[in-house]
Amino acid sequence: MGFEITRFQGDVDEELVCPICSGVLEDPLQAPVCEHAFCRSCIQEWISRQPTCPVDRQHITSVQLRPVPRILRNLLARLCINCDNAEYGCTRVLKLDTLTTHLEECEHNPKRLLPCEQGCGLVIPKDELKDHNCIKELRALIQTQQHKLNDFQQELAEQRFTMVEQKRELQLLKDFMKAMRISNPAMRAIADQMERDEVLRWSNTLIRARVTRWGGMISTPDEILQRMIKRTLSECGCPAHILDDLMENCHERRWPPGLCSLETRQTNRRLYENYVCKRIPGKQAVLVLHCDNEHMSEEMMVEPGLVMIFAHGIE
Amino acid sequence: MANIAAQRIKREFKEVIKSEEVAKCAIKVELVNDNYTELKGEIAGPPDTPYEGGNFILEIKVPETYPFNPPKVRFITKIWHPNISSVTGAICLDILKDQWAAAMTLRTVLLSLQALLSAAEPDDPQDAVVAKQFKENAEMFHLTACHWTNIYAGGPSVNKDFDDKIKKLVEMGVDEHEARVALSSYNWDMERATEQLFS
Repeated sequence: MGFEITRFQGDVDEELVCPICSGVLEDPLQAPVCEHAFCRSCIQEWISRQPTCPVDRQHITSVQLRPVPRILRNLLARLCINCDNAEYGCTRVLKLDTLTTHLEECEHNPKRLLPCEQGCGLVIPKDELKDHNCIKELRALIQTQQHKLNDFQQELAEQRFTMVEQKRELQLLKDFMKAMRISNPAMRAIADQMERDEVLRWSNTLIRARVTRWGGMISTPDEILQRMIKRTLSECGCPAHILDDLMENCHERRWPPGLCSLETRQTNRRLYENYVCKRIPGKQAVLVLHCDNEHMSEEMMVEPGLVMIFAHGIE
Repeated sequence: MANIAAQRIKREFKEVIKSEEVAKCAIKVELVNDNYTELKGEIAGPPDTPYEGGNFILEIKVPETYPFNPPKVRFITKIWHPNISSVTGAICLDILKDQWAAAMTLRTVLLSLQALLSAAEPDDPQDAVVAKQFKENAEMFHLTACHWTNIYAGGPSVNKDFDDKIKKLVEMGVDEHEARVALSSYNWDMERATEQLFS
């Protein structure tokens, strides 16, 4: 919709008036053949109802509308108009093409956002500033946040509940599987596959570790150290069916022939670099899983994998 | 009322008031309420027509969607014309329906209505009875239209014969306007009009 004609200084030529809204052309477009010009929003609204020129009824479509000639745009740009906020005290008179820029910064705009200086610091439209009450506003804010918090808490409780339920269900399924596995060989094959997949999936969640000092390896870790590592493994999602076996394999008495004594370890030391090691989160220890290390010889590997605890040197 | 409609009507109202037709007393427009949604129009009957000398009042309702939709116009003053209902004043004119264009104004609408009074379109009638008479008995139509203009629109030509016939029916207890409608519809045949009124 165009600009109200009374906002302009002096007379405005009829040619610059939109025949639809009778305001001064805003962002004008013209019809293709007859070249009648209209505000963009006006002609688009009209064409959406009837595909004709509103002045002479020639058939036109939306895509045929064209920008108006430069001379017309220049004539419009040169017109002097008062500010939209004149009724709020702005006395500026501007060239039409500078109106938009002025409006963005006009300090008389009643909707201009200002920060409250009484202390709450909320940003509010200028015209609402005089009725503004910091305590009331902040209270409302707290209330909405409290509501949100309550909603979140409720959601959390619900999620927790479902999680517990699901865990229970999963455990039932596992027990069921175990029972099936014992009674049915085909089932055992499937279950084994599922377990192998589970280990693979878990392995993929772990970060690759780099051992900088193989000499720091503790081949006979004590009970306390073992318990600590076991807890960490369990916490980072180690599948239950391999947890005990893995922990057994953290001591040299269960290591493969290539590692089981100081002597063999020294012989095979150059092979260490070939191990694919996974980090045990937060610990100076690595996991060498069988599934990650199928390229290693049986001399150096055992099922389901090794746990190597170090004094230092893990990155 | 939408901003655009109000802006347009304000401007058009001024346009009519300043127009040369107003100077010649051919058209007139007045505000009915403050919000420009309803206006009262007036057109003078064009010369060399049965409507000459009469002034016809129009009701103009401006829709919220003006000027994308036409104003709703009807005759308040009763008129005998093939394209205007003698009962409701409803007008059959293309520009007030599907031929409306957004650049048309109150002034062009009033002038178009005046033109309609000069050139009836009996093949696209609003009032079938009037249109039939217009086509079959042009002279009777002319006399009837003159008479209606005289009675309702302050036209100058008095038809003594018609007035007497109506008077007779009124004396029989018939409402004056009903009597006029019946007589007009039956080419001022007393017998048939009476028959229709008392059947």
